[in-house]
Amino acid sequence: MLYSAFNGLVVGIFYALMALGLSLILGLNGVINFAHGTFMALGGYLAFTLEPYIGFWGGLVVAPLLAVVVGLAVERFLIRPLYGRDPLFSLLLTFGLAMIMQDVIRTIWGSIGQPFALPNYLNSPLSSSMFFLTGFRLVVIAITVLVTGALFAVLRYSRIGIRIRAGNADLETISSLGVNIFFLRAANFGIGIFLAGVAGILAAGQLGLSPTIGDSLIMPAFVAIIVGGVGSLMGSVLGGLIIGIASGLTAAFFPVAQEVVIYVIMAVVLVIRPRGLLGQEGLFE
Amino acid sequence: MSSALETRPSSRPAPSIGGREISAAIIWLALLFVPIWLPAIGGFTDLASRVLIYAMAATGLNLLLGYTGGLSFGHAAYFGLGAYGTGLFIIHVIPSMPLALIAGTLLGGIGGILVGPMVMKRKGIYFSMITIAFGQMFYFLAVRWNTVTGGEDGLTGFSRVPLHLAGESIKLGPARFYYVVLALFAAVMLVVWQILRSPMGHAFVATRENTTRLRFLGVAVDKQIWVAFAISAFITALAGSLNAMLTAFASPDDLQWQLSGSFVVICVLGGMRSFWGPFLGAVIYIAAQDYLSSVTQNWMSYIGLIFVLSVLFFPQGLLGFIKGRGRS
Amino acid sequence: MSLLKLEHVGRRFGALQALKDISLAVEPGELRAVIGPNGAGKTTLFNLISGFFPPTEGQILFDGQPITAVSPNDLVRRGIIRTFQITQVFLSLSVYENVRVAVETAMGLQLRPWISRATRAKVDEKVDELLHVTRIADKADRIVGEMSHGDQRVVEIGIALSRHPRLLLLDEPTAGMGDEETHHMTDLIRRLNKDQGITMLFVEHDMAIVFGIADRITVLDNGTFLAEGTAAEISANPRVQSAYLGTAIEETAA
Repeated sequence: MLYSAFNGLVVGIFYALMALGLSLILGLNGVINFAHGTFMALGGYLAFTLEPYIGFWGGLVVAPLLAVVVGLAVERFLIRPLYGRDPLFSLLLTFGLAMIMQDVIRTIWGSIGQPFALPNYLNSPLSSSMFFLTGFRLVVIAITVLVTGALFAVLRYSRIGIRIRAGNADLETISSLGVNIFFLRAANFGIGIFLAGVAGILAAGQLGLSPTIGDSLIMPAFVAIIVGGVGSLMGSVLGGLIIGIASGLTAAFFPVAQEVVIYVIMAVVLVIRPRGLLGQEGLFE
Repeated sequence: MSSALETRPSSRPAPSIGGREISAAIIWLALLFVPIWLPAIGGFTDLASRVLIYAMAATGLNLLLGYTGGLSFGHAAYFGLGAYGTGLFIIHVIPSMPLALIAGTLLGGIGGILVGPMVMKRKGIYFSMITIAFGQMFYFLAVRWNTVTGGEDGLTGFSRVPLHLAGESIKLGPARFYYVVLALFAAVMLVVWQILRSPMGHAFVATRENTTRLRFLGVAVDKQIWVAFAISAFITALAGSLNAMLTAFASPDDLQWQLSGSFVVICVLGGMRSFWGPFLGAVIYIAAQDYLSSVTQNWMSYIGLIFVLSVLFFPQGLLGFIKGRGRS
Repeated sequence: MSLLKLEHVGRRFGALQALKDISLAVEPGELRAVIGPNGAGKTTLFNLISGFFPPTEGQILFDGQPITAVSPNDLVRRGIIRTFQITQVFLSLSVYENVRVAVETAMGLQLRPWISRATRAKVDEKVDELLHVTRIADKADRIVGEMSHGDQRVVEIGIALSRHPRLLLLDEPTAGMGDEETHHMTDLIRRLNKDQGITMLFVEHDMAIVFGIADRITVLDNGTFLAEGTAAEISANPRVQSAYLGTAIEETAA
């Protein structure tokens, strides 16, 4: 029971990291980033390639940054022309982009899954009674708490974070105050992709690498956002953890339903609280 | 932007036979003789059936997407439900094609009726996200419910059953099956055309144009979206049922989000605001997919490229592009 | 009995008291203007009456019935129709199509996939009538999004008329219009009031229009009731003059 819940918590953390990035981009950029899953895979594969040279910890920092560079180029040249247009178009664009990027990843790294080597000291259980508590899982939790905490601190206290939040609430007003909203959106997109990259490396360490690793995580991340409430970053994290744990527990007791259960939770939430758990009235409509 | 409503009311002078009517007549004639000319230029009749099935699914989607303004990204769910419903009906109930088609269509349509209330209050990207997620739910149901659906391998063990008419058993080869599909496609086009020229269709378009205005006229906009969603799901489910008949197979891929995206891109490619747009989009998309998958392993990239390019350079779709040029 | 009656109505948004203790009565057939400096609470008043949000204090009566907790949908059914400060029409449709969908939904046909010839004739007749009343029939085939702001406003009123309003709320009907368009609009307002007997309440900035056509005028200032009366009474009212710094009213009412 504890074991299953903990398994679910780790998966939920991946969902939460993905959902957080998606949610940021959804908020300020007004884009459902379908390619988020492939950016995540990109982060994982880059870290995989870099590991022999700079080690696991080096890759954990450098690979997401490289993914961000790709992300910024995408934002500048493909997504920026679509701001202010029907959201359908950015959706289709990132959708097509996801297909292209997945194919590119497959071409570079092959379509067969790869094991992602972790440092030995991370891979062994900490104690025999808590056999599921490997060092790596603690690292996953620690890094996620750190990154999420840093993100919320940036949003609350830094100038750019305050502007991102203000832009979320009212983009027109903030642009009339002379803030460069193009820069703001690019920065925001970059932060979102960084989170995807980190999630990709952590997930690779846990689940192994495959070109479609993002596919299995992006849909639950959408569900996490809906359950948590669109427009609430806290909600996305909460939603991710809830569905992760629910899915982990279901996997132990009723494995057939381990994926379906999160959609059932979503349906229930939508019926009882149409805005999601922490959602606010009127956002994005 | 041209007017989204294609028809004039009857009290106004009827427009004389124009380019639009002639084009439609040419399209129908060409469709009627596909089994003759398509093999002659080296194509398979089944490919044309596939085009019509995708065109039907996209036309159903477009009633919601292009005319009512509901950005559904999960319509593969209803396509797939139709396919599984048809296959399961033939395997477990009666091997009858008409009844199996009805069963599949009902299954998908009821799916739409149930999902509708959970999305109808939402607009824009939120609507898209919830429809995507529900689509994925059906996908996992199909993958995990092995004993019924055949899991990842898909549902097999059924075939295109002969049609029984007046005591005669008619085997459906590619050409005959094509005419079944064509007849149903024509019926769907007729239904959609009628809806678009009726008060219901007018209210759909008004919903897309300005929900606030409509709401403050006392119209229950949510119900309007729900009805559009349900009709759209029924039509897409019929297409899915036919697809199961065509391939004698129902695959989890019929429920995947990639397919949902394909339906949307078909609408966009052809022109979302045009009656014939989804059909035209389906012709282009299926032809491109068929060609690309035969010449390159990386055909996914090229399909993705079609998405990206059509969004960046062709947002009005082919028909919108042609009309726009005609106007200026 | 008054058609519309507000009794000590107030609205606060958190700490902000947008409207405070407003009482007013509009008689059937009246053409009533609401004026006041920016931030006086005119649009808030409109939003309260049309059910956009409920008042936090007091109550609103329509036809003697309290409507404080009635949904916008129900208000429309009872005959309270509004236009918006930002014109709300169906932009990519033609004028004809705009009014037609309004008429069809007014007749409750919005879920009918087909209608009889007789019903269609009835719809067309009503549409033609509305196009005629609003004098926009000659532009019936124009796409509304391509028309001038003034014409769009007229279309919006045509749409509102499909509901047979008993009380029509117009939020700044002539804002941003040129002279000719303004004239057309004031003429339309006056005709709808006098010929069709529609009771109207409108917010307006242009004092010449207010003093020219309104039967009575209500003045708000800073979310509170300042004065009410005929054009002559209002222009003579010293409190109103001081609220407007004297100038505007003396000029226009002279």
